[in-house]
Amino acid sequence: MKLIQFASITKKIALAAFGLFLLLFLPVHLGINLCLLRDDGGEWYRNASHFMGTNYIVKVFEIVLLASVLLHICLAIYLTIENWLARPVRYKVRTKTKTPFMSRYMIWTGGIIACFLVLHFINFYFVKLDLVQGKYSASIEQVDKLFQQKAIKLQQGELNEKEQAALMAQYQAISQISPEKMDKSQKNMVNLTKEEVIQYCGEDFKHVEPDFYTMSKELFANKTYSLIYLVVFVVLGFHLYHAINSLAQTLGLSHRKYSPIIDWISVFYAVLVPLGFAIIPLWFMFVK
Amino acid sequence: MDFTLKIWRQESQKAKGRFETYKITDISPDCSFLEMLDILNESLVNKLSHPVCFDHDCREGICGMCGLYINGHPHGPDSAITTCQLHMRKFKDGETITIEPWRAKPFPIIRDLVVDRTALDKIIQEGGYVSVTTGGVPDGNSILIPKHKADKAMDSASCIGCGACVAACKNASAMLFVSAKVSQLALLPQGKPEAATRVQNMVAKMDQLGFGNCTNTYACEAECPKEIKRSNIARMNREFILAKVASEEDLQQ
Amino acid sequence: MNTLSSKIPEGQLSEKWTRYKSSQKLVNPANKRKLDIIVVGTGLAGASAAASLGALGFNVKIFCISDSPRRAHSIAAQGGINAAKNYQNDGDSVDRLFFDTIKGGDYRAREANVYRLAEVSNSIIDQCVAQGVPFARDYSGMLDNRSFGGAQVSRTFYAKGQTGQQLLLGAYSALSKEIKAGTVKMYERREMMDLVVVDGRARGIITRNLQTGEIERWASHAVVIATGGYGNVYFLSTNAMNCNGSAAVQCFHKGAFFANPCFVQIHPTCIPVKGDYQSKLTLMSESLRNDGRIWVPKKIEDAQAIREGRLNPTDISEQDRDYYLERRYPAFGNLVPRDIASRAAKERCDAGYGVAPSGYGVYLDFKSAIERLGKDKVEARYGNLFQMYEKIVDVNPYENPMMIYPAVHYTMGGLWVDYELQTTIPGLFATGEANFSDHGANRLGASALMQGLADGYFILPYTIQNYLSDQIYQERISTQTEEFTQAENALRDKLETIMSIKGEKTVDTLQRELGHIMWEYVGMGRNAENLRKAIPMLRELRNEFWTNVRVTGDLTSMNPELEKAVRLADHIELSQIIAKDALQREESCGGHYREEFVTNEGEAKRDDDNYMFVAAWQYTGKDQEPIMHKEELKYEFINVQQRNYK
Ligand SMILES: Cc1cc2nc3c(=O)[nH]c(=O)nc-3n(C[C@H](O)[C@H](O)[C@H](O)COP(=O)(O)OP(=O)(O)OC[C@H]3O[C@@H](n4cnc5c(N)ncnc54)[C@H](O)[C@@H]3O)c2cc1C
Ligand code: HEM
Ligand code: SF4
Ligand code: FES
Repeated sequence: MKLIQFASITKKIALAAFGLFLLLFLPVHLGINLCLLRDDGGEWYRNASHFMGTNYIVKVFEIVLLASVLLHICLAIYLTIENWLARPVRYKVRTKTKTPFMSRYMIWTGGIIACFLVLHFINFYFVKLDLVQGKYSASIEQVDKLFQQKAIKLQQGELNEKEQAALMAQYQAISQISPEKMDKSQKNMVNLTKEEVIQYCGEDFKHVEPDFYTMSKELFANKTYSLIYLVVFVVLGFHLYHAINSLAQTLGLSHRKYSPIIDWISVFYAVLVPLGFAIIPLWFMFVK
Repeated sequence: MDFTLKIWRQESQKAKGRFETYKITDISPDCSFLEMLDILNESLVNKLSHPVCFDHDCREGICGMCGLYINGHPHGPDSAITTCQLHMRKFKDGETITIEPWRAKPFPIIRDLVVDRTALDKIIQEGGYVSVTTGGVPDGNSILIPKHKADKAMDSASCIGCGACVAACKNASAMLFVSAKVSQLALLPQGKPEAATRVQNMVAKMDQLGFGNCTNTYACEAECPKEIKRSNIARMNREFILAKVASEEDLQQ
Repeated sequence: MNTLSSKIPEGQLSEKWTRYKSSQKLVNPANKRKLDIIVVGTGLAGASAAASLGALGFNVKIFCISDSPRRAHSIAAQGGINAAKNYQNDGDSVDRLFFDTIKGGDYRAREANVYRLAEVSNSIIDQCVAQGVPFARDYSGMLDNRSFGGAQVSRTFYAKGQTGQQLLLGAYSALSKEIKAGTVKMYERREMMDLVVVDGRARGIITRNLQTGEIERWASHAVVIATGGYGNVYFLSTNAMNCNGSAAVQCFHKGAFFANPCFVQIHPTCIPVKGDYQSKLTLMSESLRNDGRIWVPKKIEDAQAIREGRLNPTDISEQDRDYYLERRYPAFGNLVPRDIASRAAKERCDAGYGVAPSGYGVYLDFKSAIERLGKDKVEARYGNLFQMYEKIVDVNPYENPMMIYPAVHYTMGGLWVDYELQTTIPGLFATGEANFSDHGANRLGASALMQGLADGYFILPYTIQNYLSDQIYQERISTQTEEFTQAENALRDKLETIMSIKGEKTVDTLQRELGHIMWEYVGMGRNAENLRKAIPMLRELRNEFWTNVRVTGDLTSMNPELEKAVRLADHIELSQIIAKDALQREESCGGHYREEFVTNEGEAKRDDDNYMFVAAWQYTGKDQEPIMHKEELKYEFINVQQRNYK
C-alpha cells in the first residue's frame, strides 16, 4: 500500500487538515440551517440554498468538501486499523489510565457521524443529486417567465402540435394551482412532487430545486428522525470537543500561554455548533 | 498484608502464555513492589519452580529497565513513578493484583514479564544525537542557552526510555518517547543543524517498527514516570511540519 | 617487591600527558579498520570509549547486561560532575582540582593519573555540551555550578538531580551514532563470563546470551573492561541490582592484578534499611548536604523516645540538637568528605543517639534552609529528591527532617592499571569504576563521572593505540582456537555444576549472608580481630555455595537465578581478597578505617611510612593464597599532609 510510505505524522496531519475543512464548513451549514427559523415561510433559507446550489465557487467547494469527508473517513479507518494492529495481544485488565474521555472513542463517534451522514444524505443531499425523490419547489416568477417564453414562441408559430398540447396542459396546471401549494410570501410553490414541477415548468425544464424547507418540516414532524438527529448532534459535539484540541496538537500548536485559548475554543465550538444544529429539529418538534 | 497475584507466565517468545495465580502473605506495606516479587520468587525457588522473570536494575526509578502493567496501569496505580518505586502501601490488604507485560507489537515478549524494547534504541540510532565526535568542540560557554530553554530541554531529556508511554497508549504509539528526544535537541542550539533530518528519520523508524499512530489521547503523559509533557509531541509535530515544508532535507537512508 | 611498572612518562607533572600524547604510537586510518576492540560495559566509561574508538575507525563490539546500553548504572548518578573550569572565578584551577582529588583520596592515588584527570576535566564539559547534554544554566545562559563535598570551590556541573543520566545519555547518543554508522556493534543482554587470553594477550571474551542461554565467543585485538564497581558484594548498597564485580574477577583469575580491593566508599546520605526484604538502598544525593544540616538528639533519652515513636524530631528544640558535623569540623561542617561524614554518623549511632527504629539513622534537616531560602527555592533545588524520598519513606521532608544512614556506594579498588589504563595482561584495558582508579582511598563527590568520561573520551582512545600500533600485523583473531574452546568448556562445566547442586539455599539467601559478613566484619569500622574472623567465614560461605546453592530453571533460556548465582560465586572470591587487603593495610585511610589506627581525637590515622603504596593482588589458583604486589606511590609534586577538614 502506498499510504504506508507516508509518515504517521503526515497521515495525521492530513486527517487533521480534512477535519479542519469540515470544521470550517459546519458553521456555514449551520448558518444556512438557522435561516429555517425565520418565519418567512422559508424564503431566506430557500435563497441561501439556491445560492449554494447554483454558485460555481460553492460547487467547487462542495466537491472538496465531499472529498474531505471521504478522505477523513478513509484515513481515520486506516489509522485506526494500524493502531489496532500495533497491539496484537490485548491486556487482560482494561486500561485504568485517566485520559480525556472522548479521545478514546473518536472512531466510534466518527463512525456514528458517518452513518448519520448516509442517512442525512438520503434525506437531503441525494435529493439534490436527483438520486432520491423528495419535495421540490418552484418560484412563480420563474414559472411565469418560462410560460411567457413559450407563449411568445406560440405566437410566432414556432411550436408544433405536440408542443402546443403540452403548453395547454401546462397552462391548465398553472391555473389550477391550489393556494396550499403557495408559500407565505406567495412567491413560491412548495411541497411539489417532481411531476408537478414538470407540469408547471414544462417538460424540457431540467433544473428542479428541492424544497428542503418542507422536507425538514416533514422530517422533523417524525419523532424518530428528530431523535436520531438530536442524538447524533450530541455525538458530534463529543467528536468535535476532542477534534479541535487534537487538531491543534497535531498541527503543533501548543503554547504555554495560548493553548488554554484553544481549549476554550474547542469547548465553545463543540457546544455551540451542535446546539445550533439541534435547535432546528427542536424547533420543528416543539415550536412549529 | 496479603495479596493474590495473577501473573502472566510465558516460557519464550513463541510459547503460549497464561495467567498463573499466586497467593502471597505477610508483606510489609513498606515493601516495594519488586521486593514483593523477590519474595514471591524466593518462595518459588524454594518450591523448585522457575521464578517469575521481570526486568529491573537500578530500583530507584532512573534506569528505565523495570516496567510492569499492574491492574490496568503501566508502572502501577501511583503517579509519576516507575514500577520499582511503587510500594505495597498503595494497595489494599487482600487485593488481587494482575501483572502483565508491556504489550505492543514492537515489544515482543522474551519471557514472562520481560519484553524486548530494543525498538526504542533503534529509533534513537536514527538521529537521537548530535553528530559530534570526540574532541575539537568549542568551550561549553561559547554558546549561551537561555535558562528557560535549558530547563525545558532538561525536562524533555529526563525520559528514561521505559516504554510505559507505549504500554499505556491504546495505539501502542511511541510518540511521547520519540518527541522527548526530538524536543530536547530541538530546544538546544547544538541540535539545530540536524533538526530537519532528525525528526524525519526518527519518525520514519518509529513507523517502520510498527508502533501505532498518535491519537492525542495522552495516556502516555498520564502514565509517564518522568512526567514528560504532551507539549513535546506538539513540538515534534511542529518540527516535522517545518522539516517537510520549510527545509529541503529529506529522509536519510 | 615492586614488579609493577606504572609507565608514567617523564617530565613535569603538567607536561606528562602532553608529552605522552606527542610521543605515543598511533595507528593509521587504513589499519584501524582491521583492528577489533571489545568493550564490556556501556556505562560512562564503556559507552564513551566505544563511541570514541568507533569514530576513530576501529571495529568495536560492545556488550552489556541490560536490554539497552542506556541502562548502565552510571544513569543513577545524581549530584554532578567536576571540572576545573573556574567559571565562577572562585579560585579553581587544574592544580586545585588535582590537589583536592589527591587529598580527598587520602594520598593513595597516583599523582600523574590524577593530574591528567584534572587536566582533561574541562574537555569533558565541552564535549557533553556539544552533545546536547542539558546542563543547568544560570539566567545569563551560562553553565551553572554547585559545590560538593570535599571542595571549597563551586566546580560541579549538574543537570537537575540527574547528572549521571544526562551524561550517560550523551555518551549513549554518541554510541548510537556509531552504531548507526556501523563502526560499533551493540550486543545487549550479554554477560561476559570469561576472558580469553592467547599467548599472554587478551584476545577475546566468552559471553552468555541472557535471553537464550547461548554461550558465545568473541575475538578481538584488545579488550576493554568497563563493567563498573563491585559494591554489591555488600548485598545492600546504592548500586543497581545488576552491578557486579564478576567481569573483574574473571580477569583477576586470568592474571590481571586487582588493586586496593579494600577501598570501598560508604556514602553518608542513604535512606536507612527498613526490613530484611530490602533489596537495595537508595542514595539521597550528596548535594543535599549543601543546604541540609545533619543532627541527632543531644540527649540519649530523646533518641530513645524517637526510636520508639514517642517523640517527633520536630519536637526537639534547637539547643537539644547535636549538629555533630558542624561541631566537629567547623571549617567544612556538613560538607566534609564522605568517609568522614559516614563514620561520624556511625559513631553517633553506635553511641546510642541513632534515630531510625533500628537505631541506625541520623537526621538531615532542611528547616533552616527553608527558612533562609524559602520553600520554593528549596523545591527548585531538591524537589525531585524530596519527592523520591517521600515515595519511598512516606514522610514529607519539607515538614519532617529526612532520615539517612551511610551505605556502600562506590569501590575505589578495581583492576590494577598503568598510566595507559592497561592491566597486567597486555591488551586488557580497564576504565571507569572497574579500574582501581584515580581516587586513592576515597573518592570525592562528582569525580567518578569525571573519571569515567575522562577515561573513555580522552585517555583510552589515545593509550590503546600505543598498544594496537604493533598489532596491525596480527590478523583477525579466530574464535576457533584451543584457548576459546577451553574457556567455553570451563564455563559450561561451571554452569552445569551450579545447576546440578540443587541444594537448600537460594542465591538471595547466600547473597544476604555474604552481605552480612562483609558489612559486619569488613564494613565501615574494621579491626584485625573481625577481619580475621571474616576470612574463614567467607571460605565457609564459598563451600556452602558450591555444595548447597539452589538454582532452578534451565541453562537454555532466560534464567535470572543462574545469572545471580554466577555473580555471587565471583563476589565470594572477591570478598576474600577484600578482607585480606583490609587486614594487610594496618592504617586508617580514606574509606578504609581501622579502629586500631586512630589519633587521640578519634580521627583516622594514616601510616605514610609503611602504606603509601597500591596493593595489587595476583591470583595464584584456586585455594592458593593470592600474592600481593606493591606499587609504591611517589609524591614528587605534592606536599603530603594529614587530611584536615576541621
Ligand atoms: C546512586 C549513585 C549515585 C552516584 N552519584 C554520583 C555523582 O553524583 N557523581 C559522580 O561523579 N559519581 C556518582 N556515582 C558514581 C558513578 O555513577 C559510577 O562510579 C560510575 O557511573 C561508574 O561508571 P562505569 O562506566 O564505570 O560503570 P557502570 O555505569 O556501572 O557500567 C557498567 C556496565 O557494565 C556492564 N557490565 C557489568 N558486568 C558485565 C558483564 N559481566 N558482562 C557484560 N556487561 C557487564 C553493565 O551492564 C553496565 O553497562 C554515583 C553512584 C551511585 C550508585
Ligand atoms: C462533521 C464531521 C466531522 C468533523 C468536523 C470532524 C473533525 C475532526 C477533526 C478536526 C479531527 C482532529 C484531527 C486530528 O486530531 O488530527 C478529527 C479526528 C478524527 N475524526 Fe473526525 N470529523 C468529522 C467526521 C468524522 C467522521 C465521519 C469520522 C468517521 C470515521 C471521523 C473520524 C475521526 C477520527 C477516527 C479521528 C481521529 C481522532 C484522533 O486522531 O484523535 N470524523 N475529526
Ligand atoms: S516518555 Fe515517559 S513513559 Fe515514555 S519512555 Fe520516556 S519516561 Fe518512559
Ligand atoms: S529498576 Fe530502574 S527504573 Fe525501575
